[in-house]
Amino acid sequence: MEYSAERGICMFAYNNEQLDYGQFSLLAAKQAKQYLDVPVCLITDNGTWSWLTQNHGEHLVDQFIDEVVITKEEPKQNKRTHYDSPYANFVAQFTNDNKHKIYEYSPYEKTLLIDIDYMIRTNFLDAFWDTPGVGMYNKAKDLNNKPMHMRETLLYDAGIPMWWSTVIMFDRSDISKMFFDTWAHIAENYSFYQYIYNFPGKLFRTDYCVSIAVHIMNGMIEGDLFNNFGGIPLINMLQQDDIVEVREDDWIFLVNNRKEEWKNILSSIKDSDIHCMNKRALDRHSADILEVKND
Amino acid sequence: MDERLQKALEFSNYNLTFTNQKENIRNRVNQLKLVHINGGSFSAEPSLISFVKTLLDIGKTEAVMIDGKDNPVEIKNLQTFFDDLVSAYTSATNEYDIEYNKLKKMRSIKKIMDW
Repeated sequence: MEYSAERGICMFAYNNEQLDYGQFSLLAAKQAKQYLDVPVCLITDNGTWSWLTQNHGEHLVDQFIDEVVITKEEPKQNKRTHYDSPYANFVAQFTNDNKHKIYEYSPYEKTLLIDIDYMIRTNFLDAFWDTPGVGMYNKAKDLNNKPMHMRETLLYDAGIPMWWSTVIMFDRSDISKMFFDTWAHIAENYSFYQYIYNFPGKLFRTDYCVSIAVHIMNGMIEGDLFNNFGGIPLINMLQQDDIVEVREDDWIFLVNNRKEEWKNILSSIKDSDIHCMNKRALDRHSADILEVKND
Repeated sequence: MDERLQKALEFSNYNLTFTNQKENIRNRVNQLKLVHINGGSFSAEPSLISFVKTLLDIGKTEAVMIDGKDNPVEIKNLQTFFDDLVSAYTSATNEYDIEYNKLKKMRSIKKIMDW
C-alpha cells in the first residue's frame, strides 16, 4: 500500500451544536506541526470541513492541515456532559464511534492519532516513532500533579487498568491491525463488555475500548505488549480547570481542587504536552493559541 | 481576620503553588531523562550510568541491559549508550537546576506566574 508520508498526525473532528471541534483541530494541528514537524490529516465530515474553511479561510487551514478525509458514516447518539468550571455544564453529542477505523483512514505509514484537545507543546513523542506496535499512555495526572480519580485509573474498583485513547501511535504491523480489529469488536459489543468488565456510565468511551483490547491482547494479564511512552504520565487539564493565559513559552491554568471546589491554584505549564479537557476554555483562548507566534 | 492568620494563609497559598510548580518541573525532567535504544526505554539514573561505566571499565563493549519495562535490550555499542545516558542526565539535571533556581527566587504567586 502507498502512504502519503512515513510519519504523520491524524485527528478526528465532528462539530455539534455546542462545540466547534473543527476549530479545536486547527489549534492542535498548529501546535503539533510546530513541535513535531510532520504532516497533519483531519478526519471529519462535510459540514465540519465546510464550516472550518469558511470560518478560518482556506489559507489558514492549509497552513496547518495537509490532508483531509471526509467520512460519511451516520454518528451514533452519544451524549456527554461537559463542564466549564465546577459550576457550569452542558450536554453535547460526542462522536467517537468510528475512531478505531483510523487504521483504515490514516494516509501515513506510522501514525500519531491525537484528540483535538491534546495540545502538543514538546517534541517528546518524536522519540517513539520507531517503537514497534501501538503506543498509548497508561498513566495520567491532573494539573495538581495528583493521579486521576480512581474511576479513570481502573475500569472499576477491582477492574483492569485504564489506558488512554487520547494519544495513539501505531505502525502497520500485525499487532497494530489486530489491536484496531479487537477495538472494533469491543465497540460493536459494548454492552456485553460493559457487563463483563463492569465499568460505569452510559457514555461510549474509547478509553474503555482500548483498555479492554490491551487486556485481551496481553493474555488477560497486565503484560507489556504495548508501548506506554516510557511510563511518562498524560497531563490532564480537567474540565473544572480553566486557562488563564496562553503565552509563547508557557500556559497558565487555574487549577481547581477536586475535593474543595471553591479552592483553586495557579499553575504555569512549560515544556509539557497537555490534554485540555475543558473545551470551552480552549474555545475562549483559540485566537490567542492561533496567534502565538511559532518559534 | 487576624493579620497573623492572613499572612499564614497567604504563605500557605504561595507554598501550594510553589510545590505544584516544582512538580511540573520534575515532570519535564523525567521526560528528559528517557533514553531510547533498540526498542527499549531507559531512565538515565545515576545507578544505571555507574553500572554502564563499570561494564566499560572492565572492557565490555556490548551488553544486554534490562529496560524500564523489565525487558532485555541488546546494547551493541556500550560507549554510545553511556554517552547518551550522561547527556540525557546532564541536560535533565541542568534544566532542573535552572528552573528550580528561578522558581526559588520568586517569593509570590504573581512572580511565579511571571505577571
